[in-house]
Amino acid sequence: MKILVPIKRVADPDNANKVKVSGDGTQVTSEGLEWKMNPFDEWSLEAALRLTEDGAKKTRTGEVVLVTIGPKDAAQTVRTGLSMGAERGILVEANDQELDSNMVAQILKAIVDKEKPDLVVMGKQTVDGDSNVAGTVLAELLGWPLANYAMSLATDDDGKTLTVKRELDTGVSTIKVTGPAVITTSDRILKPESVKNGVTPADFKYPEAEGGRYASLKGIMAAKKKPIDEVTAASLGATPQKTLSYLKFELPAARSGQTTFVESVEELVQKLKSDAKVL
Amino acid sequence: MSHSETDKSVSFMRSLCMGQIEEDVLLPFPEMSEDEKETLRGVAEALGSMLGAHTEDFRHWDREGHFPESFIEELKEFGAFGLVIPEEHGGLGFGSMAYSRALQEVAKYDASTAVTIGAHSSIGMRGLLLFGNEKQNARFYPKLATGEMIAAFCLTEPGAGSDAASITTKATREGDEWVLDGNKLWITNGGIASFFTVFAKTDEGRKGGMTAFLVTSDMEGVSVGPHEDKMGLRASSTTTVAFDSVRVPAANVLGEVGQGFKVAMKILNSGRTGLGGGSVGAMKKIIELATAQASERKQFGKPIAEYGLVRRKIGHMVVDCYAAEAVVSVVAGLVDEGFEDYAVEAAISKVYATEALWRTVDEGLQIAGGNGFMCEFPYERMLRDCRINRIFEGTNDILRLFIALNGMDGVASQLKELVSVRKSIFSAPIKGFGVLQDYAAKHAQLATGARVKGTHFTKLAPELGKHAEAFEQATRELASAVDRILRKHGKDIIGKQFASNRLAEIMIDLFVWASVMARVNAAIEAKASDVETQLRILEVFAGRAGSRIRANFRKIDDNDDEHIKALSDHAFEHGKFGWDTL
Repeated sequence: MKILVPIKRVADPDNANKVKVSGDGTQVTSEGLEWKMNPFDEWSLEAALRLTEDGAKKTRTGEVVLVTIGPKDAAQTVRTGLSMGAERGILVEANDQELDSNMVAQILKAIVDKEKPDLVVMGKQTVDGDSNVAGTVLAELLGWPLANYAMSLATDDDGKTLTVKRELDTGVSTIKVTGPAVITTSDRILKPESVKNGVTPADFKYPEAEGGRYASLKGIMAAKKKPIDEVTAASLGATPQKTLSYLKFELPAARSGQTTFVESVEELVQKLKSDAKVL
Repeated sequence: MSHSETDKSVSFMRSLCMGQIEEDVLLPFPEMSEDEKETLRGVAEALGSMLGAHTEDFRHWDREGHFPESFIEELKEFGAFGLVIPEEHGGLGFGSMAYSRALQEVAKYDASTAVTIGAHSSIGMRGLLLFGNEKQNARFYPKLATGEMIAAFCLTEPGAGSDAASITTKATREGDEWVLDGNKLWITNGGIASFFTVFAKTDEGRKGGMTAFLVTSDMEGVSVGPHEDKMGLRASSTTTVAFDSVRVPAANVLGEVGQGFKVAMKILNSGRTGLGGGSVGAMKKIIELATAQASERKQFGKPIAEYGLVRRKIGHMVVDCYAAEAVVSVVAGLVDEGFEDYAVEAAISKVYATEALWRTVDEGLQIAGGNGFMCEFPYERMLRDCRINRIFEGTNDILRLFIALNGMDGVASQLKELVSVRKSIFSAPIKGFGVLQDYAAKHAQLATGARVKGTHFTKLAPELGKHAEAFEQATRELASAVDRILRKHGKDIIGKQFASNRLAEIMIDLFVWASVMARVNAAIEAKASDVETQLRILEVFAGRAGSRIRANFRKIDDNDDEHIKALSDHAFEHGKFGWDTL
C-alpha cells in the first residue's frame, strides 16, 4: 500500500502567544516562531504508518510518502516525519503566506497524479488556518471518494477497500470506501485499536498517546539518508489559482485573566448575571 | 573547526602554567556542523516527546526508588544506549560534542535517566570504545547499541575509592583464562547491566599493577547485590557487584595486561563531557523553572522577578550556565579533534560544571522559597540528584589536586634537566614530587625562555582586546604562582594540599575564563544578534575570576592555613566541637 500524507508546518501551538500580526495587519508574522508539524497531520501520519506496517513486529510493509508545500526550511518538518518512519518526502517550494486551501488542493492533485498513491491520508484541518477545506477539495478535483473525520480505519485487502468510522456531531457514521480515496482524520485515530490493516495481529494494541509516535534516535539517523525531492508547482505542471484573499488580521482582545471566588451557587449565578453578563 | 595544523599533544592548561597561551588549541570554539545541529534538534525533540510524557512518573519513580522495567525497555527501543557506538555497529556514532548535548536534553527531564544512560556510555562501555580490539567490538557493540546489554563500570571497592590503585579484586591467570575474585561497590547500573568493565590486580607485587576485563553477567560467579537506597538519583540502579572465582577468557582482557590504571583514567577523562552535559542541562532547566516562578509569584504587590535580589540570582545563574556550557564544549571539542592530553582540562570542566549546577539549583530553590522545599515541586529532587556529581567520577577535591599537580608536572617537563625525574613524578604523582627540590634554580631559564613567543592572543576579535590583556596578565600570574608555590614548598609540595588547592582554583578560573572568551569570540565572528548580552557575561565572569585569581595569588604567602590546620587538629583531638555555652 502506498499512502500520500500531506503535512504542513505551523507555529508551535504551545507557544501560540508569540504569534504576532504585522503592523499593517496584512499578515501573521513568522519571525521568531518555532515550527512544528500540524498536530492533525501528525495524527494522520500516525494512521498512515499504522496502515503500512506490522505493528507487532515493527516492520514496514508499505510506503508512506510525505509532501509539504512551503519554503526550503520546511524540509525540516518533512525530516521529522521521515524520522517517525515515512519512507520519503517531497517539498513543493512555495511561499506559505501566499497559499489558500484551493491552491493547496490543486498542488496536491498534481502530486497525486504523479505519485499515484492508493490513499491520501491527511489531517482534517490545520491548527493555524483551521479551514478544513483542502482535503475535501482535493477529493473533488481527483474525483475520488472522500472519507473525512475518520476516527477508525480498517482494511484487509491492502487498502483497496476500507471500513471507516467517521466522527460527526450527530454520532458515528460507518462507511465502506473503495480506494483510491482521500481520508481526513480526527484525533481519535490515535486510539490503541483504531487502525486495522490485516497485517498487524487483530488483537494488537498501540500504546495510549496524545500524539503520533515519537521518532526514535535510530529513526532520526535513518531519516538523514531518506530522500526529499524538491519540486515546484510549475515543474509539476500545476498552475494553482488563488481564490481567497485575506483582508486583515488582528489579535483577539486580551482576556483580563481575573479569577473570582464564590462561596455558594447563589452567588455564582448572581455573579454570572451581574459581572460576567452571560446569563 | 580546523585544528588540523595544531600539535595534538599540547595541553592548553599545562602550557598555560608555563606562561604559554596555546590559542590554536583553544580556538576556534567548537561548533557542530549544520547537519549535526539538525540531527541534534531532532534528537532533542524526540527526547522531549519521550521523556516529557513521563514527567509525573519521574517524580513517582524517585519516590519508589527504582525505574520500572518497562521504562528501561522504552529507553532501549528509543536507542538511548547506542549514542556513542559507531554507526556501522548499530549505534548513532555521536562524538563528544553531540553526546554531551544529547545528555543535556535528558538531564532537563530526569537526572536518574541521564545517569543510567551516562553510566553506560560515558564509563561502562567507554573502555571498549577506547581500547577494544576488532573482535571485542564486533562481539559487544551491536548488543550494547540496542541496550540488549547495558554496561557498568566496576572500579570502586569498599577500601578503594579515590585511591583507585589500592583495589584488592584480583585476577589470576590459569591457562587461557583469568580467575577473578573480589567485590565492587556503588556500581551504577549494577542491577540492570550485563556487561561490566572490571578492574582487578594482576600483579600483586606492584601497586597499581592492574588490568581491565570485560565481564558478562552470564559468566558463573557474577552476582549483584540489592538496590541501594540513596539520597538522589534514586530511580537509577546502584548495587554491589561480586565476582566469585569468575573464569574470564583471556580474549576479554581490555587493553594490555598491567595497563588497567591507565585504562581506567582514560575512560574517566574521555567520559567527562557526559556528566558536564548533564549538569548544563539541569542548569538550563532550573533557569526555566526559576524565571517562571519569579514572574508568577507576587509579593508586596509585584512579581518577585522585579526585585534586585532575585534578579541578582538569575543573572549569576546565566553566567554560570554559559560558562559551564562553554568549558564542557571546549573539552568535547578537544576530544573530538583528537587531542591527546586533555586530562587537566576535562577535570576542570567536571569540577566547574558540577559546582555551578549545585550553586544554580541551590539559588533556584531559594527563589522558589517554601515551594522549593516541597516535594510537589522539582527543586528538592534536583538538589538531591545533583549532589553526587561532586563526588563520583573522581571527587572534586581529588580532582583539584590532580589539576594542580599536573599543572606543575607540565612545568617540570619543560626543564630538560628534569625529564628523567618527571617520569617518576607522573607514574607516582603522590610521591614523586620530592625530586623538584632544585626546581627553583632552573626556573629562571623558563621565565626568560618561554615568554618570548606565544604569550599573547593574536586571533581574538578586537572587541575582546581588554579581556585578552587581562587574561594574559593573569597567565603571567599563574606561571609566577606555580613558580612561587614550588619555591616555597620544594620537595614537600606533594603534601601541601592547601597550596595545591589554591593553584587548582587559579587554573580552574583561567580555563573557564578562556573558554568563555572563546565562546564569545565565536559569537562575535558569527555576528550573533545578541553579542552585547554575551559580552556582559564575559564582563562578569572575567571581573570575578580576575579578583579570585589575585586573591589566591596573594594567599600563596599570606594566608591562614596554619590557623585552619590547628583548628582542625583541635577538633580531631576532641572528636567534637570544643566549646559550649553551658
